[in-house]
This record gives sequence, C-alpha cells and structure tokens, in this order.
Amino acid sequence: MAHQRISSRRMGVALLVIFLMAGLLVSRLVDVQVVRAAELQEQSAEIRTTSEVIWASRGSIVDSFGNDLATDVDRYDVSADPRKVGDFRRDGDVVTVMAAMAEIALITGANADELLYAVNSNPEAHFTYLVKSVSPEDRQALRELRNPWLQMDLVRERTYPFGPVTANLTGMLGTDEPLAGVERKYDSCLRAINGTATYQKGADGIRLPGTTQLVEEPIHGGDVRLTIDSDLQWYVLQTLAEHGSNLGAQYGSAMVVRVEDGHVLAAADWPTFDPNDFSESPVEFMGARAFSSPYEPGSIMKSVGIAMLIDGGYTYSEDKIVAPGFYEVYPGRYIKNFLVADDRQLTTAGVLHTSSNTGISVLADRMPKAEATRYLRNFGFGEVTGIDFLGESSGQVLPVDQVDVVTRYNQFFGQGISVTAAQMASSYQTLANDGVRVPLRLVDGCLTNDGEFVPEPVAEPVQVVSASAAQQTVRMMETIVSQGPLRNTLEVPGYRVAAKTGTAEIATSTGYGDDRVISLAGMAPAENPEYVVLVSFYKPQTSRVSTAAAPAFHEILSHVLKHYRVAPSTEPAILPPLTW
Amino acid sequence: MTALAHSVGSAPRATKPRAVSSTRQKARADAVPKLRYIVVLLAGIFSILGGQLLLSIAVSGGAYEIASLKTDLRGSQQQQQIVGEEISALVAPDTLATLAGSMGMVPDNNPAYIRVSDGAVVGEAIPAEASASGQVFAVTAGTESVVAPEIVEDVFLTISTATALEADVTDVLAPHTAEVDASQTAQPTASLVVATEPPAPRFGGSIPSPVTR
Repeated sequence: MAHQRISSRRMGVALLVIFLMAGLLVSRLVDVQVVRAAELQEQSAEIRTTSEVIWASRGSIVDSFGNDLATDVDRYDVSADPRKVGDFRRDGDVVTVMAAMAEIALITGANADELLYAVNSNPEAHFTYLVKSVSPEDRQALRELRNPWLQMDLVRERTYPFGPVTANLTGMLGTDEPLAGVERKYDSCLRAINGTATYQKGADGIRLPGTTQLVEEPIHGGDVRLTIDSDLQWYVLQTLAEHGSNLGAQYGSAMVVRVEDGHVLAAADWPTFDPNDFSESPVEFMGARAFSSPYEPGSIMKSVGIAMLIDGGYTYSEDKIVAPGFYEVYPGRYIKNFLVADDRQLTTAGVLHTSSNTGISVLADRMPKAEATRYLRNFGFGEVTGIDFLGESSGQVLPVDQVDVVTRYNQFFGQGISVTAAQMASSYQTLANDGVRVPLRLVDGCLTNDGEFVPEPVAEPVQVVSASAAQQTVRMMETIVSQGPLRNTLEVPGYRVAAKTGTAEIATSTGYGDDRVISLAGMAPAENPEYVVLVSFYKPQTSRVSTAAAPAFHEILSHVLKHYRVAPSTEPAILPPLTW
Repeated sequence: MTALAHSVGSAPRATKPRAVSSTRQKARADAVPKLRYIVVLLAGIFSILGGQLLLSIAVSGGAYEIASLKTDLRGSQQQQQIVGEEISALVAPDTLATLAGSMGMVPDNNPAYIRVSDGAVVGEAIPAEASASGQVFAVTAGTESVVAPEIVEDVFLTISTATALEADVTDVLAPHTAEVDASQTAQPTASLVVATEPPAPRFGGSIPSPVTR
C-alpha cells in the first residue's frame, strides 16, 4: 500500500512537472504565435526582403532627324572588398591576385599596378572601386573570369555619341545635376526619377513568387528634340576649326538658320569641348558663345540700318547721295571711312556696297533717333531671341535718352550697340523673309515618356520692315557678292548670294584697340532666300579684315545649298546702280 | 472501430432478431455511404493538398523561369545597347567623313542638278579639288588630334581590307568624273540625258560599298 502511495505521489509530481512544462511550452507558443506574431513575422520578412532600385532613364536629346545627341547607357562600376581579395581557384588552377588584376586590366584598359594599389593601400576597408564605368561588353568579359571577389554594380551614365559636335548646345551632366545648355534648361522634360521595389528572396537568391512590391514607380524622362541638323553642325564646326586656327582667332561662331520658320539648323562654337570628358576643358569654351557673348557687330549692321531707312521712307536703292570723305558730327568730331578719304557720289546701294560709314551717316541723319531705337528693338536687338538659351545675353540697345550725338550715327554701322551672333542671324532672317522676323527656334519640343509630343510654344512673327524694304536691301547685298572685291571668294556657282561683311573693333577699357571681330552674314538664293548663314571670328591674328571670314562663309553656304538640295537660281539678278 | 461495431451489433441480434433486422439493414445501408463519404472526403482533401503542392511547385518553378527570362531580357537589352552604341559611333559625322576620306572621297560643294522635266542641267558642276582632302580637324580646345573610337578603327580595318581586295576606288569613280566634265562643256539640252547614259555598272549594278562583316 505504501509502495502504491509513493508511486502515486511520484506520479503526481511527474504529472505536475509535465503539466508545468506543457504549460510553459503553451505559453511560449501563444507568445510566439499570437502575442508577438506580427512583430516576428515582420522581422523575418525583413531578413528575406531586399529592396532594389528600378533605374529610370533620363530622356535623350535628339537632333531633328532623331539621332541621339545625349543619351543614357548602362555602365558598371567594378569594385572589390579588399578583405576578401585573394588567390582563387579556377578550373583547378590557382589564379593569384596579381594575375587576376592583370586580367581585369587587360579587359578594361586600367593599370594593373593601380588596381593592386587600390586594394593593398587599405586592406581593412570593406569596399574599394577598381574600375568605374565599364561597358556591358567588358562587364561580360569580366564575368567570364569567374573571379569570386569581383563586384559589379549597374549605373546609368550619360553619353554624347557625337562628342563635341553639339556640346555647346546640349551642355553636359555633372555627377548630380545638369550643368549647362539644353540638359539644364530642359531638365524638367529630361529628368528621370528612379523607382524602388522590394521582394523577398530565398537562400539561393531567387525571389519568392508573389513577394515583389513596387514601392515607387520609376518615371522615365522625355526626349528633347532640337531643330539642329547634326551633319550640318559638324560641317560648320569643322569649317570654323579649319579657318579659325588658320586665322589664329581666339574663337569663332557660326549659325545656319532656315528662313521660313526660323529653325536654327546649326549653331556651332569653336573651340568647344567634349561633354563625355570635360574635366580638363577650359571653362570659357564650355558654353554657347553664339548666344552668350555679345559684341559690337560693326558693318554687318549696315544692312539692317539701310532696311530701316528704306522702310521709314528716308531713302531707296537708287537714291543719290554724296558720301563725304569725313562726316563731321560736331566740330572736331569726324566719322571716317575705311581707307577712302574722298567724297564719293554713291547711291544708297553703293553706300552698302562700299560699306561707307560717312554715306550711311548722311542717311542716318534723316531718321529721328527714337525711331531708329524702335526699329532696332523690333529687329530683336536688346532682348533674348525666341530660343531664350540658358544664359543667353540680351545684348544692349541704348535707351533713346542715352543715345548721344555720335552713337546716333554709330548704331547704323554697328557700334554703340552690342548684339549676340544669334540676334544678328535673326536680323538677317528678317531681311531674308520679306521683313518678317520669325523668332529663332532651337528646341522643337518634348516627347514625353507616354508618347505625347509637347511642342515648344511658337512665338508670333513680327513684321519689322516692309517686304519691299527687305527685298531692296537683299538686292544691294547681292552687289557685294557679284560685283565687289570679294566676288571670287564669295560667289557660289549657279546661285545668287547676298551677303555683308563686318569688321568690328573690340572696345577695351582705353577705347578701341587693334583687335577685331570679323564677320560675314548672308543668304541664298537671293531671289527667294531659304537659308541664312552667319560666321564670325573673334580676335583673328593673321588677318584682321572681314574678308578673312569670307572663305569660311563661302564653304558653309555652298555646303548648305548642296546639303539641302536647293535648286540653282534661274532668274538673272536685276541689281541697282552703285554710283551716279 | 470495426471490432467495436461488431460487438455492439452482435448483442441485440440474439434478443430481438426481427426488430433488429430492419435496423441492422438500415445501419449497414447507412454505414456503406458513410464510408464512401469519408473516402471521397479524404481523397478530396488529399487531392486538393496535392494539387496545391503541385501548384506551388509550379509557381516557384515559374519564379526560376521568370528570373532566368529576366536575365535573358536584360542581356538582350544590353546587347541592343551595345549595338546601338556601335551604330552611333559609326553614324557620327566625324567617322563618316574620315571613312569617306580613307576611301579617297573628297568633299565637293559645287554639284549640278539634272531637271527631270526637261533634262536640263542646272547649276555649274565644278570637279572637287583633291586638296580638299576631307581632313578632320580637332574642334575642342587644347586637343591636337581626333581620336576615333575603337569600333571605328575596326571598320577602317575592314574597309581597307575590302578595298584592297575588290578594286581601286579611284578607278571606280573615274568614269563619273569624266561625265561631269563633259556636262560642263555640253549645252544643257534634252539630248544631254542620252549623252550621259551611265556606263555598264560594275559590282552588279550596285554602288560600291564597304564590306562589313
């Protein structure tokens, strides 16, 4: 009986222990499964969950034919964890660190010693870059090395496939933000916003089905389409480079504008820079000087002045005037001509043909200065062009009350007024287009990521001078090409060309110095102009007269006519007399 | 279960044979369908479980397939990008000009046109000067020479090999240059069209073009 009592007590204790343990387990179970369930599940999901960046592409900048001028490409940054770098086995052979580095160097073109140094210089670091921005092709080759410590991460990189050709216009992208040009100004169209997604993955790295969650949708950028013809732009830039270096010029700019719609087909600045690698480029050559650098244009302005005078009813092509050797503004202050010191009997056409400063002063005297200022502003001087390029200069047209007695005349031959090459090209577009100024256009619009094309707003054309005034001026400019001393250089066989030269003195702190800006602007075919070309060189050294710009102008204009298959002229020119 | 059913069933059988007969029959009749239900139910449950298992295997198998297809897609996209970059390098004006120059072409800014309506030659054709060699100038500040991308170098190589193999380019162009000379002296009349009938084409009538492989 006692034995039974002991065993039942023992049984009781055992049962108690069992119940206690079971209770413990149950409470633990409840704790895990019910009380802390949410928290624990979250933790476990966190361990399995990886978040990934969904790369969004920044939009491309394309030319009028859709060629990429700036676009995003995949690149890889190659890195390693120095603590893990060591010899490894491949197909049974040992690959030493040295050999591995040599292999990487061979593929990427990096320096093997530098790679070794990157790893050895800080062996305790967790991360070091070996080669940045490796092409997908090279990345494939690197993968085939089966190097266990090599790490490659995708990055998106901006490339400019045509290099420097349109660098002045596209601008470039810095590490964080666009730095210049269209890249910066049209960032709102181009910009992409990377998305993120999370997913859970198993031990083998494969994502678990149904766990992918899009946290943020990637937003791809839109494309900006320019009016630029990059083939033409290249040719123009080449011509500037060739003649600019022959002239020893500091820089040069050229523009080609389509007359009917003011589209800028080429706007080149030489020297320029390579937007793919601009770290070493001089800052002063990184912009678009055709838009940003105003200068006193010189005689190239006379065509505009003559058109103003004709439109105002103050003169006409055959108007007979005497251009004095010296034009006295006030006692002791004379305007004189380039070379010529005699009085000459010229028509208004002859004044433009010979680029007579005194002749145009005689004519300018007939127009009140307020009217002249109004005309200049209507031509678009003193304000940015329709393009409104990033950092574009508006140049300067003096307010009427500041136009002194000398400037009043000077303005007509391009002094006392500062303009940009773009404004000058725009004024010649006006003359070529029967006096209607169609605001210049460089950006056609933005093709958004959902396929919608948002055109840049089209500015209203302005009738600046009458069609008759514009056409008479173009006839006069034709005489410069067909009868002037530059005809052998300027004539394009088969075409009627109208052009005007300009040599501007560069104002310094001590007045006008020896340095010049030489330029030439013109249009063809003269009977119905389709294209305007403007070329200018800043501070040429080997020759400082405007004739030195003629070969470059001629090459570009001939090329434009050929490039766009312009039909040769068939009507003979009826040109005004130059003298009487 | 069966043993229990037997012992329970056997007890009343002895005392009330008649009355039980109907209940027993009923019970048996009840038992048979019950068993069938259970079997069907279990089979159903197991087949659902099995199906779910298979489905889940298929889904995770699909995940692997998706992963591998995504890798393929990425690879193809990159292949497209690689080729796209090569094309961009080849259509770059710099490249085209240099390639044209290497084939002996010179720029000519004075072409003439034949008007289709009456066959008249408009414009004045002037043969290009060989001195306009199509040299490519460096356009960036401080750069001395133009460096062609690697892909362009490859094409140069292919073209120069192809040119050496096929024919001298100047030889091909010679008859055409002669025509232009003739058209200058000839009056622009309709007969000119007949006079300038192209010579028998070489290379099977196609324009001699670089062979790229």
